[in-house]
Amino acid sequence: MTTPPPPPKPLSSQEWETLIEDYNHGRLHRWTTYDYAGPPLVDLALSSILRKDFSLHLKQRLLIFLEEHSISLFTSPASLLRLLETLRLVIQSPNPNDAVSLSFSFKEQFLISTTSIFIVHGTFATADFETLEGLVELLLTIVNRPNHGIDRQTRAVACECLRELELAFPCLLSEIAAHIWGLCQSERTHAAQSYVLLLAAVIHSIVVYDKAPNVSILNASTPLFPFNVPRIFFENDKDGDDSDDIVGDDDEKNVSSASSNLKETNVRYKELRRVISFLLEWPQYLTCGGVLEFMRMTMPVANALELQASLLKVQFSGLIYTFDPLLCHAYLGMYLRLLDSFDGQEMEIANRLVLQSKELYLSYQNNVVFQLLSVHWLLGLIQLVIGRDVTKRKSFADVMSLSFYPAIFDPLALKSLKLDLAAYCSVLLDDFGTLKRYANGGTMTVEVGSEVSVVKLLEDGLMCVSGFKWLPPWSTETAVAFRTFHKFLVGTSSHSDLNESDSSSKRSPMELPIFCAIQGMLIESTLKFQGLVPLIVSFVDRLLGCYKHRWLGEWLLETFNESFIPKLNIDYKLGSYFPILERISANERVSPTGLLELLANYMVVLIKKHGPDTGLKSWCQGSKILGICRTMMIHHHSSSLFLGLSRLLAFACLYFPDLEVRDHARTYLRMLVCIPGKKLRDLLNIGEQLPGISPSTNSSSFFNLQSPRYHDPKKSRNISSYIHLERTVPLLVRQSWSLSLPVLRLDDDKQSLESFKDNKTTGEPKELDRSSSSIEIVSDINRISQLQEPLRVMDSKVSEMVGILRKHFASIPDFRHFPGLKIKIPCVLSFDSELFNHSVGTSIPSDSCGIDSLPAIYATVLKFSSSAPYGNIPSYHIPFLLGQPVKKDYSFSETNSLDIVPVGNGSAEDKRFKAHVMIELEPREPQPGVINVHIQTNADNSEIIQGQLHSIKVGIEDMFLKAIVPEDVPTEAVPNYCLDLFNALWEACGTSSSTGRETFVLKGGKGVAAISGTQSVKLLEVPFMSLIQAVQRCLAPFVVSVTGEPLINIVKGGEIIREVVWKDSDSDSLSEAPNPDARLDGGPLYIQYMDDENEKGPHLQISKRDMGCFLILIFLPPRFHLLFKMEVCDVSTLVRVRTDHWPCLAYVDELLEALFIE
Amino acid sequence: MPLRSSRFPVVERRWRLACDKESQSAGATDSLKVVPYLPTDSELAAAFIDRKKREGSVRGFGIRTSHSVKGSDSWVDDPITRHIISLNIDKEEQGESHFIWPVILHVKGPFYLLALPLVEPHHLKTYARMCNRSDCGNTIGEDENLSSLLLDLPSITGAFMVVHTIGDIVTGDITEPEVVASASPSVGGLLDSLTGSIGISGRAKPVATPIAASATSSTSVSGTLASDAPKIGSRSLDKDALQSFISSAMPFGTPMDLSYSNISAMKMNGFSSVDVPSADSKQPAWKPYLYRGKQRILFTIHETVHVAMYDRDEIPDSITASGQVNCRAELEGLPDVSFPLTGLGSAHVELLSFHPCAQVPEHGGDKHAVTFSPPLGNFLLMRYQVSDGIRPPVKGFYQLSMVSENEGAFLFKLRLMEGYKTPLSLEFCTVTMLFPRRMVVSCDGTPSIGTVFSTERSVEWRIITSGRGVSGKSIEATFSGTLKFVPWQTKKPPSSGSVFGSIDDEDSDFETDSPNNIVNVEDFLAEKMSKDLQAVDLEEPFCWQAYSYAKVSFKMVGSTLSGMSIDPKSVSIFPAVKAPVELSAQVTSGEYILWNTLGKCPVAATRKA
Repeated sequence: MTTPPPPPKPLSSQEWETLIEDYNHGRLHRWTTYDYAGPPLVDLALSSILRKDFSLHLKQRLLIFLEEHSISLFTSPASLLRLLETLRLVIQSPNPNDAVSLSFSFKEQFLISTTSIFIVHGTFATADFETLEGLVELLLTIVNRPNHGIDRQTRAVACECLRELELAFPCLLSEIAAHIWGLCQSERTHAAQSYVLLLAAVIHSIVVYDKAPNVSILNASTPLFPFNVPRIFFENDKDGDDSDDIVGDDDEKNVSSASSNLKETNVRYKELRRVISFLLEWPQYLTCGGVLEFMRMTMPVANALELQASLLKVQFSGLIYTFDPLLCHAYLGMYLRLLDSFDGQEMEIANRLVLQSKELYLSYQNNVVFQLLSVHWLLGLIQLVIGRDVTKRKSFADVMSLSFYPAIFDPLALKSLKLDLAAYCSVLLDDFGTLKRYANGGTMTVEVGSEVSVVKLLEDGLMCVSGFKWLPPWSTETAVAFRTFHKFLVGTSSHSDLNESDSSSKRSPMELPIFCAIQGMLIESTLKFQGLVPLIVSFVDRLLGCYKHRWLGEWLLETFNESFIPKLNIDYKLGSYFPILERISANERVSPTGLLELLANYMVVLIKKHGPDTGLKSWCQGSKILGICRTMMIHHHSSSLFLGLSRLLAFACLYFPDLEVRDHARTYLRMLVCIPGKKLRDLLNIGEQLPGISPSTNSSSFFNLQSPRYHDPKKSRNISSYIHLERTVPLLVRQSWSLSLPVLRLDDDKQSLESFKDNKTTGEPKELDRSSSSIEIVSDINRISQLQEPLRVMDSKVSEMVGILRKHFASIPDFRHFPGLKIKIPCVLSFDSELFNHSVGTSIPSDSCGIDSLPAIYATVLKFSSSAPYGNIPSYHIPFLLGQPVKKDYSFSETNSLDIVPVGNGSAEDKRFKAHVMIELEPREPQPGVINVHIQTNADNSEIIQGQLHSIKVGIEDMFLKAIVPEDVPTEAVPNYCLDLFNALWEACGTSSSTGRETFVLKGGKGVAAISGTQSVKLLEVPFMSLIQAVQRCLAPFVVSVTGEPLINIVKGGEIIREVVWKDSDSDSLSEAPNPDARLDGGPLYIQYMDDENEKGPHLQISKRDMGCFLILIFLPPRFHLLFKMEVCDVSTLVRVRTDHWPCLAYVDELLEALFIE
Repeated sequence: MPLRSSRFPVVERRWRLACDKESQSAGATDSLKVVPYLPTDSELAAAFIDRKKREGSVRGFGIRTSHSVKGSDSWVDDPITRHIISLNIDKEEQGESHFIWPVILHVKGPFYLLALPLVEPHHLKTYARMCNRSDCGNTIGEDENLSSLLLDLPSITGAFMVVHTIGDIVTGDITEPEVVASASPSVGGLLDSLTGSIGISGRAKPVATPIAASATSSTSVSGTLASDAPKIGSRSLDKDALQSFISSAMPFGTPMDLSYSNISAMKMNGFSSVDVPSADSKQPAWKPYLYRGKQRILFTIHETVHVAMYDRDEIPDSITASGQVNCRAELEGLPDVSFPLTGLGSAHVELLSFHPCAQVPEHGGDKHAVTFSPPLGNFLLMRYQVSDGIRPPVKGFYQLSMVSENEGAFLFKLRLMEGYKTPLSLEFCTVTMLFPRRMVVSCDGTPSIGTVFSTERSVEWRIITSGRGVSGKSIEATFSGTLKFVPWQTKKPPSSGSVFGSIDDEDSDFETDSPNNIVNVEDFLAEKMSKDLQAVDLEEPFCWQAYSYAKVSFKMVGSTLSGMSIDPKSVSIFPAVKAPVELSAQVTSGEYILWNTLGKCPVAATRKA
């Protein structure tokens, strides 16, 4: 059973309403699924229209519905036919007596809708022509009863329908033009307008499309009925091209060909002239809309017929004097078409438009839009006229500049458009001046008169929004005023003018009085009214954001910098000007000196005014100042800023009351000092996408870094191949070894040496001691005082010696209770750019040159650790370091270094690529060792790099310190004190020391030390000169005394060893080199040595000559000593060594060899 | 949701064809492709609401502000973009965005009327380029500018006419120019004369119920009319009235006749066999019916005076009068009427515009004569404006001085009708002190003449009340006293509503001034109050609330201020007919402002030829 689907059920009027609503809002699905769509729906609607029980209103709605949705509904030609049949039925039905006018209007709507639907389905197959012919015939039947009384409006509508068909299918009616003309002539009611317009449309297509060349317009050659679609349509349709059917406004191109054809057919030309002269009598009888349509039709025809423009002028000149905007516009349309013939009338028209815009409160329902339109028309017109004839500038400008002063009660929209006109006048006047200049052969005779009036134009014009100065910044007046400033400023250089891409070079803004005037106005009013600040800022931003007028914005900032900043009062109000200052600081072309000075002064004021109530304000203002400083650092070369900014920041660090501000200032200062220009800017710019717009307050975005990305651990492995930490001074002993003393190491923390212990009883737990009360401390003190008393009987010499030692040890800090003595090992950190880039993968833009192309590392942290007893080694921080350039780049960067180096001098070269690192050790025991170095740093791309660097070796010489001199020893007595100390220690370290069981209290009184000495000798077979040089080079600080005249003579002249005790060995027994005891003690060694010497040969003995002696006292932290007594002979030197830390002797031997023999 | 929309398939078809043609000729190289897309009602409404959000208000900023975004109307930086708007229809499903321009926006009562006139695709492209420029804004000499575009597009002008007419119909605001006859104070409009002449008694008042909107389009494309107003009283009858107006006024989308009175007369009355067209002359389309009955001509000259009175040496007072001549010619047939304009030599009268039925007088010299063929009913014959040489009918000064933050002393010294003689008489005169931003607690003081009424926001001094008209003498009136206000409370201006919104006031710096810094209490108060000021719309002349002033309203009858007059004897009718000519004249106050002499006041430079 395949029966066609049953037709949808008829709908009630309510359902129709819903359906229409749904269709209008695009809610189709609920209807289409039940087949209420397409042709069936059309059929349903048409049958509903014929139903008697439906109201006419609903029927009208149905018609409109069909019309508006015809594209989706009328998918089959049969529907069109059905529509036409229904229309015929309706038209022919008599009007019910009770609702004559209603049924007329229903019929009219039906005609309109049907025509509309037919037009929309405009591509006809040949078969469909019959349907179209049917419609046209029906319409013609209605139309063909001129002057008939009551249905005149229906006839008018039918004419409209025919006209619309003619417009959609040009030349459709051209063969019956004669009939239509006849009807036109006989119609006398108001409906005549529609007949006339229909005729005009037919004539229009005849002339423009020229498809029916053989038809006479005067004599009807074809009968009106039956109507046939002209043959040309069939021909046309064969081409399958109906795109010509569009009635566009592209008549012009057709007109030219049409007019040439017309000339050839002379008879036709005369006919057309007759028709057109008939038509031209009509405008005064037409409605406004009718006139507009009429002109649209007849103007091309008049053009083609080459009618005199004066004819048209007479007919239409009245239009411009009416208050109907549409008619005025129609007139302007005609004027634009016939610019040449209307030449010379532009001033009259301009004046008319000026007057029109004045119809204050009288125009259409007080609606400002028509006034705005007339100003726009005027602007458009002037541009058009001037575009054709430049000489008319002056007259326009003169007239309009006077007539377009905004009036007080003009709406602001109108005021602002009038100000546009004023700006345009200023351009015209200015260009006129320019023209004059060129005309005078380049001599700069500026038309003073006109340019002064330009300024006056601006000043007078702006008066109407003068409230902009003091009204809040969001007021409409300010918006209008700044819009006007903008127009006046950019007026002379339009964006489309590509030749003048860089106007700044061509013309200095200060040349033009208008610029000066604007600048003056802005500065003056901003000084007075801080409310303008946001406006100024967005104004400048607007200019800066423009590819063409950026220079104007910069110029404005420069002028503000020069003329505005010096005039500012330095008080709290200054804060409201910060947005402007921010913009100034962000501009590279403006020198920041003045601004920095201002900010510094403001900082001073803030500090001075700071009080309990101003905490928040100080913080706020201080942060803002720093914000501007930051902007400066981002946008300016550091070199130009450095002096002022560093001063400002340093001042803030020191004195600003707010902690956070101080902190930030410190950070900035550090960055400014350490990081070179481009890197600094990049760093500060992180997180900021728009360089022009800086953050409003402080540097929060600086801390707002991207989430850290860790460097690939694989890459970190070879980190030491490109990041190097090296000692500044290389070790003397290259091959280092470390004496491993496991016993000592084990109890490293407790007591490294048995001689070194607390003076308390060992059983007493430390914790208790720490928590002990003050009584305990008192007892401690007592104990100390007791200890200081000599316990045993000694001779005076010994007691003197012990006294010296006591004093000495009392000044040695006990590292277990106090910060210990520190050893500093200077190192240098550097890294290799090329390898770094390769490894980290940071890509530096290839176009950047010099230093900017080098990678950098930021916020580097070096952490140290060691297995040697060096205590806790503090980590070291390096804010910024630049990579070492590849060799060939060196010269390159050198040439460019001038503008980037912060400390701009020659020696900076190294500093930029090398960071000094100081490793601080707090040795528990003086012994060489190895320090492991761990680095953590950030690359340019904020990648975190970390890894192990090569270790740093620590030699015994690193441990060498000068003896600690107690504070109470006067400076001039220091050499003697040192010598005495030397002697005492020398004595104490002797094997038969009388101090062997003596203990010495360390500083703080908690720890005690005992001396257990060891001695050794070393013969150095080096000539005395090289020995002296070596001593001077490496041991000079530790020399406490030089004895022996020859030696003194040599050493004293060198001035390297100073402030020591110089003693002739003969005269002073104390300084006599071989101390009797020592000689005795060292006897066996000495003898052995002598034996060796003897074996070598007597000549050595003979030639050996004593020159003198160096006494060298070296303090080894934490509390040991190394003593040298160097007995210098001319070819060899005997070094006697004593120490209270015997393990060090192992290293000393090597050291001495490295020092003197190599 | 739109309440009513009309589409014109014929116009839509033209648009589609134009787009096809454009895309054929433009080829693939053109980056901007115009798609013949027409939105549905709901899409249009959604886009409209979207634009409202983007542009801050229904009309938008109009001027480029810091809130403007590229691609929006205010980016074009022209106040007219508050009336000619663009819409972006985003079709999310298809990922397409359609740019619709020019949408004509007219706000009338609670209704938003939108119309979309037909333009060429290249116009649309030009505008799209204009609102997407990356530079700092249009300069005037630019190649592509709005002015040239508007000059090139009468369809936009037409669309404005259409939406204005429809707006009036929708709100029931159809009024005819007032014509005053000596017998009855005011004469009715066209329908009265029509019904009077053909014997139909009475007529329904123009539909005054708020009709659910309707829509339209003009010289062109589918118009759609959307309204945010609540759907009240959308009776189908009213909708149909609107629909039938649209069908008759612009059957195929092109407005042919926008005269509502003519169209509704034809709808209501139709034509009968009695309506015989004139035998000897053509009947104009704008006069479908001819008058039959007793013949007469009535003229009413109506002047409105706008005054800004400063009473300061450095600022001259400004006074302009705009006048119009309304006419009602009850004449049979289709006669021509002409008369000379007298009294134009004395004052600086600028003739502004005329009714389309008038033939424009030859200008040059003082011989202004107007000839016109009158339409039926009341009509506005001509407009003029006088900006010089008028004596203000109310002259004097107003001073208000704040003695403390909430207390002020004021003084008026006025002279009324100085230098004016009979027949000009003053019907009423009221001076109002307006305090839109402060509440008045009390007003003490007795005027030398008249009575005082005070409300919360104003104090009204009725110097002369209607019924006690004054003529032939000048009156001196003084009024001094004190005012007490409710203490001023700072309130944050609402962020929405104003055109420009309020710029985020993140800076607390504005509040750094303590009262001590400002010695003057008035300055302090002004400073304080100005922070709360809201931006006015661009359609206002200035921020009224920022100033202190008193407003004068009055009505004078009997003559004009400018001297503009029509001599009834010199009115000639052709073909000659005996018909009495009546003339009446009245002057009313427009913006008649006495600025507080002690306060700030807006000024405008005056033209000096």
